[in-house]
Amino acid sequence: MAGLHLEHLSKHFGATVAVRDVTLRVGEGEFLVLLGPSGCGKTTTLRMIAGFIAPTTGRVHLGGREITALPPWRRNAGIVFQSYALFPHLTVAENVAFGLEMRKLAKDEIASRVSEALRLVRLGSLGERLPRQLSGGQQQRVALARALAIRPDVLLLDEPLSNLDAKLRETVRIEIRELQRQLGITTVMVTHDQEEALIMADRLVVMSDGEVKQVGTQRELYEHPADRFVAGFVGRSSFLPGTITGPGRFETKGGLAIACASGLTGPAVIALRPERLALGPSASGLDNHLQGTVELVSYLGASVDVHVRVSPADRIVVTQPNRIDSRTPEEGEKIAVGWPAGAAVVFPDDGSTARL
Amino acid sequence: MSASATDDGLVSLAAREARGGRLSMAGLLIGPATIFVTIGLLLPILILFRYSLNDFKPGLLMVDTLTINQYVLFFTDPYYLAAFWRTLRVAVAVTVICVILSFPLAYKLARTQSRYKNLLIMLVVLPLFVGNAVRAAGWITAFGNKGFVNVTLQWLGLIDEPIRIMYTEFAVIVGIVAVNLPYVVLTLQSIIEGIDRSVEEAAYSLGADPLTMARRVLWPLALPGFAAGAIFCFILAMNAYATPVLLGGPQFVMMGPLVYVQFAVKSNWPFGASVSFVLMTATLLLTAAANLMVLRRYRN
Ligand SMILES: Nc1ncnc2c1ncn2[C@@H]1O[C@H](COP(=O)(O)OP(=O)(O)O)[C@@H](O)[C@H]1O
Ligand SMILES: [Mg+2]
Repeated sequence: MAGLHLEHLSKHFGATVAVRDVTLRVGEGEFLVLLGPSGCGKTTTLRMIAGFIAPTTGRVHLGGREITALPPWRRNAGIVFQSYALFPHLTVAENVAFGLEMRKLAKDEIASRVSEALRLVRLGSLGERLPRQLSGGQQQRVALARALAIRPDVLLLDEPLSNLDAKLRETVRIEIRELQRQLGITTVMVTHDQEEALIMADRLVVMSDGEVKQVGTQRELYEHPADRFVAGFVGRSSFLPGTITGPGRFETKGGLAIACASGLTGPAVIALRPERLALGPSASGLDNHLQGTVELVSYLGASVDVHVRVSPADRIVVTQPNRIDSRTPEEGEKIAVGWPAGAAVVFPDDGSTARL
Repeated sequence: MSASATDDGLVSLAAREARGGRLSMAGLLIGPATIFVTIGLLLPILILFRYSLNDFKPGLLMVDTLTINQYVLFFTDPYYLAAFWRTLRVAVAVTVICVILSFPLAYKLARTQSRYKNLLIMLVVLPLFVGNAVRAAGWITAFGNKGFVNVTLQWLGLIDEPIRIMYTEFAVIVGIVAVNLPYVVLTLQSIIEGIDRSVEEAAYSLGADPLTMARRVLWPLALPGFAAGAIFCFILAMNAYATPVLLGGPQFVMMGPLVYVQFAVKSNWPFGASVSFVLMTATLLLTAAANLMVLRRYRN
């Protein structure tokens, strides 16, 4: 087991910069998740750790040793590929044994470690099957067993759940997480699915356009997003663009005056978490208290999303828990929205378009 | 895997058609191909076989009878036997060289992410646009005493006198390799393309160096396709005609030209037919043997 350290890692493909100056430390036994939209450079980063791509600049250290120049077969990194990449001509047991044979272990040692790895992923009885005789979920577990059998210094997972159906994904992500914790194995996982990332990670790295936007725990990212991108990508936010007009005073482009807790000046964006907002009578008496019209109501079962237009330019989403006694507003209804000044996060406006 | 998927597809297609009462339609569609194979291929082979059992009398040409005289003649005359072994030797050499040469090229083509990939493939196919005879003529100019190869070697000071390349086995092998290479490259390329690249990377990550990866993963997965490419190349080489005639010269007799001479020059149909049959049978037997070997390797 070993810690992983990426130092100013960059990768250029011709004119495109896939990864830009990424510096990260992954502690021993930590589960780090790289989260970001498709094309933001997650896979490229992972492949540089694995040794499949040589970084344009920067260094990779594993267990205190620099491995930047080592080929993949000398790195001792266990990898689970998105497509699982099982050897189709080998049985499940032979797949798992492959890495141990490469390490020239004794036959009985290999046999015992193969059965141990298969037991770990609850595939003990399927050793003689060929990969094509397994379901997607079973193949995924073989891939995991194969990667774990070599007792890697670091486990790398590239969207390992994306080929499973939604229901299976929910159980497998817990299983992987528990297995990782039980083995105490340093792990880097890549995903674009924020729910998956939040459930599995010890710490998350939010990436966008090849850059690290923020590193932190779930709580840190959610409560203190570093920028507007993170606020939109981790959890949801309604964004109100406008200008800080004085200490604690914000005016939206739509002309609404809003109280906020921010020392910024000039153009800014306010981000509002939908579940931190109050609707109807409970909005009265709060620092901000706006009148609006319900434009859209989405019934989600456990909660209800209410989209409220508060000015011609501004719309706010409010999530209400679906309690037995709560009344769901009607579309077209006039309603009040409120929140305390401290509930909003304010970012300087970098001019990027709003995302939700 | 892909074969079984196709089978499933066919089965379900057939089932759907049967349900729709459209089986006759399918029969109608397969019909022309069946008729073509029967009349265009099977029938001539049968007629040829019958001819090979006839006798030949100078002046009378073909005499209707039932005899194995023609085959006995072939297998007892050192001249014809030499042609047979020569053909086999050349075909095996060509096949081995083609497979070895095409593998790196096919691998690069299959795995390249260059946007010029299609252009590269076109470059491989391009030689096929030139007929065999024209290509052999090109080699003649290169291989002659004052040809490109000799002039270059002399210029480099490697030889004093021009060496004889034309009308040698070497020239013929080079010529046929050049003809067959594009076919083998394309076959191997499509096979390698069908192998998920991340399977190679998985092997690397598990500690296999490139040679071990190729031996333990790429080779077994590509073997059936390799065999197909090699067999195709072998059949083409066994039946080569223009290249041995033009680059081998009149002394370098191979089976393909031999068949032609018997039919067209000597009007000896029975013997021409029996030579054809020896050639066809040898090709088929060797192909089947190679197939069996691959199958056995593949199961273990
Ligand atoms: N081999 C390559 N050649 C050129 N561009 C590439 C290559 N691999 C990735 N890229 C580009 O680098 C960027 C990041 O890709 P990737 O790391 O795969 O993103 P992610 O895994 O986050 O979806 C993308 O814009 C992609 O098009
Ligand atoms: Mg990716």
